[in-house]
Formats: sequence, C-alpha cells, structure tokens
Amino acid sequence: MGSTAEVIQPGSPSEAASAFGDGAAVAVLAGGTLLVPDLHFGRARPERVIMLGDAGLNYVSRNNGTVSIGAATPIAALVGEATPLGPCAASIGDNEIRAQATVGGNLCAPAGFGDLQGPLLALGATARSAGAGGERSEPLEDFLAGRAGRLLLDVSYAEPAAGALAGLGRPHAHHYTVMAVSGARSRSGAVRLAVVGAGAVGSRLRAAEALAGDPDAAGVAAAGEVAPSDDPLASGWYRARTLPALVRQVLSDLEASA
Amino acid sequence: MKAVGARLPRYDGVGHATGRTVYVDDVRVNGMLHTKALRSPHHHAGIKHLDTSRAERMPGVAAVVTHEDVPLLTYGHLSALGIPADEPLLGAEDVRYKGQPIAVVAAEDADAAQAGVEAVDVEFEERPALFDMRKSFDADAPRIHHWGAVYPHFEGEMNVRQIRKGDIERAFEQAYKIISGVYRPAAIEQMPLETQVGLSVPEPDGRFTIYSCTQALYFSMGVVAAHLQLPLNKFKFVGGTVGGGFGGKVDTATETLCTLLAQKSGRPVKWRWTREEEFLCSSTRAPWHMEIIDAVSADGWILGRKMLTLHDAGAYARFSPYGVTKHSFHHTGAYTIPNLHFDGYVCFTNRVPTSAMRGYGVTSVSFAVETHMSRIAEELGVDPLELRLKNANRIGDTSPNGITYTDPSTVDVLHAIAGATDADLPAPYRDASRDRRAGEWLPEHLVSQLSDSEGH
Amino acid sequence: MNIVVNGTNRAVESPPLTPLLHVLREELDVLSPKAGCENGGCGACTVLLDGAPRRSCLTAVGSIGGAAVTTVEGLGTPEDMSAVQRAFVHYCAAQCGFCTPGMILAATAYLERGGSTEVAAISEALAGHVCRCTGYLKIVDAVAAARDGDFDLSTTAESPHTTVLG
Repeated sequence: MGSTAEVIQPGSPSEAASAFGDGAAVAVLAGGTLLVPDLHFGRARPERVIMLGDAGLNYVSRNNGTVSIGAATPIAALVGEATPLGPCAASIGDNEIRAQATVGGNLCAPAGFGDLQGPLLALGATARSAGAGGERSEPLEDFLAGRAGRLLLDVSYAEPAAGALAGLGRPHAHHYTVMAVSGARSRSGAVRLAVVGAGAVGSRLRAAEALAGDPDAAGVAAAGEVAPSDDPLASGWYRARTLPALVRQVLSDLEASA
Repeated sequence: MKAVGARLPRYDGVGHATGRTVYVDDVRVNGMLHTKALRSPHHHAGIKHLDTSRAERMPGVAAVVTHEDVPLLTYGHLSALGIPADEPLLGAEDVRYKGQPIAVVAAEDADAAQAGVEAVDVEFEERPALFDMRKSFDADAPRIHHWGAVYPHFEGEMNVRQIRKGDIERAFEQAYKIISGVYRPAAIEQMPLETQVGLSVPEPDGRFTIYSCTQALYFSMGVVAAHLQLPLNKFKFVGGTVGGGFGGKVDTATETLCTLLAQKSGRPVKWRWTREEEFLCSSTRAPWHMEIIDAVSADGWILGRKMLTLHDAGAYARFSPYGVTKHSFHHTGAYTIPNLHFDGYVCFTNRVPTSAMRGYGVTSVSFAVETHMSRIAEELGVDPLELRLKNANRIGDTSPNGITYTDPSTVDVLHAIAGATDADLPAPYRDASRDRRAGEWLPEHLVSQLSDSEGH
Repeated sequence: MNIVVNGTNRAVESPPLTPLLHVLREELDVLSPKAGCENGGCGACTVLLDGAPRRSCLTAVGSIGGAAVTTVEGLGTPEDMSAVQRAFVHYCAAQCGFCTPGMILAATAYLERGGSTEVAAISEALAGHVCRCTGYLKIVDAVAAARDGDFDLSTTAESPHTTVLG
C-alpha cells in the first residue's frame, strides 16, 4: 500500500512555512514515526506531505541562558538536558524511536502522546510557528490549544534554576506514561507545574503553583483543576487519585534542590 | 548416542542469524495475488444483504470469495472427535464477533484488494451482544446460537462437563472450615511476531501447494480438504518455519480462504494479516471464571472440593469443549483431593473465538489452584509449603478422572522450591517422598481413593 | 531514486512515502527485515541507516537521503558471519528467528558505539525489540559475549544467567 501524495522537501524554515501555507490538506513528516504507518495503511490521506528533514529545523541552541529547540530535532538529542526535560525525553519510546521521533511531532501528536508537553510547559516555553496569518510566537500553552493548522518551527525557554519530574510507571519501553507531573523553578524563583496524561493535552497546574509552598495543599488543588478521563491506560478516577502524590513529589524534589 | 546430553547447535541458528530463513511471507511466486478481508464491524449482527458484484469489477481484483463459494461452509475444528461444527468459514446469515470474515478479495496488490473490500455492498442488522460469560445463563441473555449461549454436547448431550468422585457431602460435613475463592484470568493474545500468513499456489496438475505458518500441519490440511470437499492428495503443505505460534497458529486462519481464492482466480494467492487483525480477529487464550469451595481439616488436609468453571469460548466452539475437559481432569492441580464435585461449562459470547495457548485449559486452573492453596494456608495459619506437601500427589493416588499416578513429581518440586527459598521444613515434611502413602501421610479420608495398583 | 543497500546501489521506483521496509521486501527482495507490526512497536523491521538502528516500517524511503542501509544480509554470510551473528548462534539466542535480524542489527550498533556488557545496559539498548520465544536471557548473553568474537559453532554455550533479569 502507499500514499501517492505530493512530496515537498523544503530546504529552509521559510521554505517550509510557505509550503505549509494554511495547513489545509497538508501533512508534516518530521521523524515519521506516526505519519508513515498512517500513510501506509491509508489512515491519513493528505494531498501534500512536507518532509522536514532538510528544512534546517534540527538544532538545540543556547544563547544567554535561553535554549531553543528546532521542531525537527530528534527526541534523543534532549536526553542529556536538565530535569525535567532530559529524563522525560529518555522515558519516551525506545532507542530507535527516540532517534527518529521529533520534538515537534511529540508536541503536535494526538492525545496519548505528547510527553514533552509537560516539561516544556513547566519551563514556560514559547512556541514559534507558521501558518495562516504568518509566523507567530506564543506561550506553548496557547500553541497547544490552537495547534491545528500551525507548523511548529521551534520552542524556546529560559534555563531554569531547578527542575523535577514525577511520573506514573514505565514498566518497559512500550508502555506509555499514564501521567506525569513536571515542575521547574525559574531563576527569579517562580514555580511552574504542568501535567500530561490528565487531559487531551498537557496543562499548567496554576492552582497548585499558587500553593507551591504547601505541597499537600498544592496536590489537592491540582486534582481540582483537571478532569482526567478514562482511556486504555488508566481510569480517570485513578489519575485523579494519584495526581496529588505526583505534585507533592515534584514540589518536594524542587524544594530539596533549592 | 551422539545427540543425547550433547550441546548441539540449532539446525536453523545460522539461517536465523544471517536472515536467510524463509518464512511464508518471504516466499516469492510469480503472479502472486494479495488478499484483504471484509470483516464484521459489529459484535453481533444479521447479514441482510451481501453483493460483491461491484467489488469483482474493481481494477486489479482477480477473485472475490463469499460463503456461496465454499463447498462445505461449516466445519468444526474437532468434528473428528464428534464435536459438532458451528463456525462458518465466512459469515453467511449471521456474524457473531467483530472481525469475523464475510468476504475475501484477492487482487494485484494489497491496495487494490482493500479497495475491493470497500466496494462490497453489505448491510447488517445489529443485534444485542453478550460479552460477559457469567450472563450466558440468563433468560434474557442475547441468543448467540440457536441452542443458546452454553455448549450443549458433552457426553450424554449434557451442557456441562461433570466430575463426581468420592462422597462430597460427607467431606463438607466433616470440614473444620470451608474456604472459597473466585479466580478470573483474562484473555491473552498469543502474539507471535509473525502474523497469520498463508500462500496457496495452484499447480498445473490441479493440486495446490500451500505454504503455511501453521503449528499443526496435518490438522490444517484436513481442515482445508474438508471445506473444499477435496481429497487430501490434492494438497501439498509446506510448513515447518513458524515465526512464533504459542497456540495461536493451531486454528487454520488463512490457508482455506487462500486456496479458495487460488482456485477461483487460477493464480497464487497470499494473505498476510496485519498486526491489527492479529490482535482483533485472531483467537486468544480464553477468559475463565472459576469458583472453588474447599472443605478442609484443621491441620491442613483438603477433604473435598466443589468447583464451578465457566470457559469463554467466544463466538464459536473451536477446541473449547476439549479445553474444558482437560481443565476438569486437572482441577485439583498437583494435589490429591478424594471427594470432588466439578461442573464446567463452555459459554458462548460475542468475543473473538478463543483457542489454544501454551498449556491449553490447564494454566487457568493452575493459577486458580495455586492461589487457592495459598489462601487456605493463610486462613488456616499453616505454612503454605507444608500444606502443599501434605496434599501433594503421591504414587498410587488417583486423579479427578481416575488415573493412577505412577510417578508424580510434586514432592520433589516442592522440595526444590524449599531449597531455593531457604525454607526450613520440619522433619516429616523434609523427609516426605513421592512414595505410596502410609502412616501419617495416609489419613482416613485418603484411604478409599488409593488405587490398588502400585504404580511404576 | 537510488539507495545504497548492503553496499550496492539500487534503483527504487516506489513512491517516496513508501516505508523503507516495503521497498526492501517488496521491491528489492531484501527479506531479512520482517513486517512484524508495521507500526514501530516490535523492532523486527530494524535496519541500520549509516550504522544507526532505525525502524524501516516508520521510515519513508524518500526521507533517508544518501544514508547507507544495512541489513543482516550485509553483516555476514552463513560462511562468514559477524561476531554478533556467531554469538547469537552459539548462545541459541534465536528461537523462531523472526525478531533475530532486528536484534542483531541493534546489538551490532550498540557494541560499535561502545556499549557495555552490563545486563541493564544491553536490555535498554534492545528495549524496542520484542521477542516472544526466548525470554531475552540468551539474547542478552549473546550480546554480552559477542565482543569476544570467537565461538565454536559446533556446540552451544551454557547460559551464564540463571535468574530473571533485574
């Protein structure tokens, strides 16, 4: 089987943006770990496919304490980053998948994927994207809410003073993370918390952040600001019951690293 | 005797390590067609309308086979053992599980075959579905087969596999405690790395060469021959290289339909299932529901056992009556219980048919029995190893179906466990053996079950 | 389009979005990569791209550029096997054999990048490869021993591991 969609291989970010246009009938192939089998089995039938391999979007750059990660950067390139991003990247898939799957693909994938949303939300990342209306930069949270029709170019964040990650189980490489909480304290002392696995996309836990000095209260508050649903990995009930423990763990790890 | 005890290399090791081993999907034949199946999207439905004429005219489509093309549509896996056939090769009037094949299309490539499948006109009338075998006995349970939802053909046309041994009522009257438990292992997919795959090549002499990943070659040959109503000498099976089976390749999944398509098209036909089909449509190990009620003495003898087993066959019987029979013979596990009352039922649901997997029918009961032994030990406050040694099978003991054990290894296995776990067994248990019961190992309740034969 | 497979330049007519697995198997008759799941979950289709293990079922052939493709056919022949291949034979690390090509390629890349002989590290390196037959112990044994290189293939090794992996 196979897709006979038109293939575009842009040679720069701007070529990628103009090929993407407003995103109608376009599929973006970065690593291909999700899209290639979807094309093969006819689950995705786009008119055009943009391959990002040569588009100049594979980079991790550092500038004055700001880290920028190109959307086509493989997840494996992040494994050495500080907590929460590095350990989260290391827990995704297996050796081969991490080397092929990309940051952009993970952030833009449908529910069930998107582990990197957690650490990057906690790091207060900014997403730069192209699409209808041209290029724009916005908080990752806003990007995730409106990511359909956008081509992610990169994410950037200020290196934090401390970070923490607590997740629910990874018995082996082929298990998805049920739920994970990321936390980061900025150099100015602000604590950000984010959860993946408690909704369709990752989300900030603002009520818990406001109670960061009291991990118990923060845990309870976190459970009140998400409405996790059932899926094949776990029930919403289980997630709601475990979230406070993960929040407590992350806050006490952040406290310990002070 | 060059082989016994020697560390011989695997005959197929070099082929595997160099990628030269030829599996069915690696066989290349000129002019080979590829197959896709129209499968039921419903768990339970009537087929109101089925028309393949549009599919037959699709580009690249060489043959479409439905129930009308099968000389013997319904052939049971265990027809030879007198277990009535209940499963049509292709759905005709009814479909009883999601994924049940209704039509197969052979075409120049898999895309064309899939397009052909999508061009089959079919109309269903959905029916209520049954997923919980515990509801098979309910008066208002969905009716899966014309005889209902419980297999009715055990000996004497009973709907139950029964074992009655000793005097169960007396055992329960004498009990110090009655200890019960319910055990419910779920379905498991065998998940061989190689999915179901077959290739049937029509030969100039009218015979078919069938490349098969089956675990049971001559059995599969019989199934194909029966459905096609042709003598066995019309089929040459090429097997032997199986990319994992674990019981999942005992059922004949692809060979018959490939051969019907090859017969109709006059061309070689291959059918390799996708992983999704393997998970959703191939047989699984059965879910079981087992209730054990034991009469036990204060010092840890199991005097009697009442057991109820429900076996989820899925939509069709396949090997299930055999599985439950085997299960019933093993329902005391590695232990001797003289007074038994066992009832086992094969229940039909609208799940995928269940079938063989490693230790068919017995892994379920082993799980239940061993868990129950530990429960008894806990409730009586006795050591779990001592409890097991006490009741362990010995030479001369008799099984639930009346077989005399001639060389049971239970005691030795338990001693090995004790050694591996540094358990400190007291003298009588440390010195126990598999020998025929006598003295303190022969309490009154075990006398009558002893066989007169000495074993060995 | 042309791709280099096991050192040979091959012309490819399949559309660029075709999974490399199917180009290898259906167009080029390179049959050791197996279609185990075709969704990236089993590892049986693994090939090396410029020496790094890659799921060929997830890789569009048009995306590999000039990267060299290596399969187990390219590692060694029955008469002249690589050290990892010989280790797999000697340790009976292949049972049904369906996962073996992917396992051997991942293990080869792991050892070439200096991977240790520790069980946990080998297990992590092979985590994306499902084996349903062996229970993995013999595979880990073979990878740990492979660096030694020389095995007597007329006999088989005693497995050094007698307990379940930690």
